[in-house]
Amino acid sequence: MNPADLPRECVLATPPAADALLAAVRTIAQGPLRQQVDAIDRQGHYPKAILQQLAAAGGMSAHLNAPHGSGDFFLAIQAMAEAAKVCGATGFMMWCQAVCGLYLQQSGNPALMGNVLTRHVAGLGMGGTALSNPMKSYAQIESLLLKATKVDGGYMVNGTLPWISNLQADHYCGAIAALPESNAELMFLLRCDAPGMELVECPTFSAMEGTGTYALRLKDYFVGQDDIMADPAKSLIAHIRAAFVMLQCGIAVGIIQGAIESMWAVESQLGHVNQYLEDRPDTLQAELNALVARVQKMAQTPFDTSTEFFIDVLDARAHGAELCLRATQSALMHQGARGYLMSSDVQRRVREAHFVAIVTPAIKHLRKEIARLSAEEMPA
Amino acid sequence: MNALTAVAQAVQTLAPWQQYICVACGLIYNEAEGDPDSSLPAGTRFSDIPEDWACPLCGVTKSDFEIYEPPSLETLRANAKNCNPVALPGQRHRPGVVIVGAGRAGWQLAENLRAADATLPITLVTVCAGDVYDKPLLSVAMARQLPCEKLVRETGVDAARRLNLRLLAHTHAISISADSKQLRTTRGTLRYDQLVLAHGAQAALPAPLPASLCWRINHLGAYLQLRAALGQVDESGAKDVMIVGAGLIGSELANDLALGGHRITLLDVQAEPLARWQAEQAGQQVLQAWKDLPIRFVGGVKVAKVEKIDERIRVSTECGQQFEADQVIAATGLTPPSRLAQSAALAWQNGIAVEAQTLRTSNPDIYALGDCITVDGNASRFIEPISRQAKTIAASLTGCDAIPYEQRQIVVRVKTTSMPLSLH
Repeated sequence: MNPADLPRECVLATPPAADALLAAVRTIAQGPLRQQVDAIDRQGHYPKAILQQLAAAGGMSAHLNAPHGSGDFFLAIQAMAEAAKVCGATGFMMWCQAVCGLYLQQSGNPALMGNVLTRHVAGLGMGGTALSNPMKSYAQIESLLLKATKVDGGYMVNGTLPWISNLQADHYCGAIAALPESNAELMFLLRCDAPGMELVECPTFSAMEGTGTYALRLKDYFVGQDDIMADPAKSLIAHIRAAFVMLQCGIAVGIIQGAIESMWAVESQLGHVNQYLEDRPDTLQAELNALVARVQKMAQTPFDTSTEFFIDVLDARAHGAELCLRATQSALMHQGARGYLMSSDVQRRVREAHFVAIVTPAIKHLRKEIARLSAEEMPA
Repeated sequence: MNALTAVAQAVQTLAPWQQYICVACGLIYNEAEGDPDSSLPAGTRFSDIPEDWACPLCGVTKSDFEIYEPPSLETLRANAKNCNPVALPGQRHRPGVVIVGAGRAGWQLAENLRAADATLPITLVTVCAGDVYDKPLLSVAMARQLPCEKLVRETGVDAARRLNLRLLAHTHAISISADSKQLRTTRGTLRYDQLVLAHGAQAALPAPLPASLCWRINHLGAYLQLRAALGQVDESGAKDVMIVGAGLIGSELANDLALGGHRITLLDVQAEPLARWQAEQAGQQVLQAWKDLPIRFVGGVKVAKVEKIDERIRVSTECGQQFEADQVIAATGLTPPSRLAQSAALAWQNGIAVEAQTLRTSNPDIYALGDCITVDGNASRFIEPISRQAKTIAASLTGCDAIPYEQRQIVVRVKTTSMPLSLH
């Protein structure tokens, strides 16, 4: 199937301008998303229609190269932040969809860069990323959980991956399997509806239940040439790893901004007591603005493969997570009892911030990786 | 219904929707939205709410509500600035001075700060263990037959305890958030009142010299690793050591490792060693001093390639010569790392540019000393100025009378033990 065969409304003639894109995302976030945020957070409601609206608005493809986007990583981060300000889970799923699109486009495989990518950008195809384990593997934190063996016409993959998000029965994700025979890795598109693939329900999480998160069990799962993203995977990973981590900053930026706004919301009534708290909204806003400016600069060179640049990106991501924890905690202190209600967005953001701090790469992973990359190399 | 009431009703219907706030819990009743859960449809005026209605959140009654006008963010910001918080962050937990680097510069500064102020919080962040040692000894350790374990004068932990400071060892300083005065590290983020950069300089490796094959002896850790790799001459025999760069460090190391029994080949792009002091004929003197030592000097050559061949390393020069060695040491000069300075947008001129008399960087809360600084673009990577620099900065940070730093002509003593040289 060729992109021209898709329904016309699925193919954006040209990517929307930045202002229009952000306005459209804001309208969705402040409207229908705000209505569903509790159901997403606590009842496991997967907001498929909203994600598709966000896709149609160009909210998860601004970072892609033309014709699918304008190659603007900062715009993609801003769009994610607009949603995450209202719902951290949705911001996170936008990241899943955004990086999956990045894998498809950067794969260089015509079978993935055509119809599959076009449907993905339009929100007709949706997916996530199973690269948490491989990223930790490259940082020497854990070993690869999927193993691939060469078979006629492709590879056979076996193994189990925990906690992959933005999945449904007809979704897919980018995944990496070890090739023990060649001491290399294979990166491929893993389809949830293909034979040999089972989605396993996860236990209840403390927040963000509606992120379509499952464990994946692969039993003799076949990967054909059309689904290969990179073989071997190392050079593609080196190419996209900074972009992968950088895009996550959007989730943190949104949650922090939401927390700051909830502090101002009670300032006129509670300012007289809140003045005794640490981390007041104006100081947090100044720190957030400095972080956003730093991310904006990095977003100009998303494919810089130097170690120094990657350290910078990891550090900005860590700063986002730390500031998330501080800002949401402080917002709860600012709102007091009303923020402690289960219905309050203020306490929900505390739990969302915990997610930002522990999702791969978690704060501790970031620090360990920065230390590893900063170490002086000496003869063995 | 008389005419007056009808007019009043019409006025009320047309009036903008009002909001009322529960003084107990902060719930806002918006007339436009009503409270459908309590059977108050959207558009119910507050005055029309029955008296037995209760706040849906906390249960207080209608009389505990008052009219609410959402304030503008600008007003809130302005008001927040006017109030003086009783407990500013940092008053109870004063961040104090954070020092990056535990070489001589870092420790000297810590000593001076503590001598001037017994209670000032001091945090020292270092990539290494923070052990206190004299770097010049690394150039004469073999000649003086100093065992490796004797090189450490005091462990970092002991020095930290003695000076009552917090030592963050094995910690990388990654970036400075200058606006919020925080230093980001691999073991968490530190607030500071003043930050002092004493992280030194690192080896400048020319492209043909890969880090994985060439030692750079710029700190104790690397020196100890090299010594372990060389082994004891009486146990594992003499080794062939290639030293690239015959400046001060390269020449001193050549001298000392030769006295330790190893066979040295010393390369330089210049025709003789210590070419910087050519006018004083330092090269001729040092070659004379080495005439009975196993040191071969090869001048006027540039390294083109370094590669591992089995267990040995082959060094090829641009002019086609080849040498083989067990270990290769690069002594090709130093360059200060720019990561921290860049993150704080500090002025940079071949190094962290500091003001000549105060050693303050372009950021008023950040100072720097030692090998990482330059004054008017010039670095001075010698030991002598460091203790005077530490005194200058400590006086400034502890509010003592200023001790302006003076740049002096340095006398360099070349520790080529058989014939030490003093150079100007």
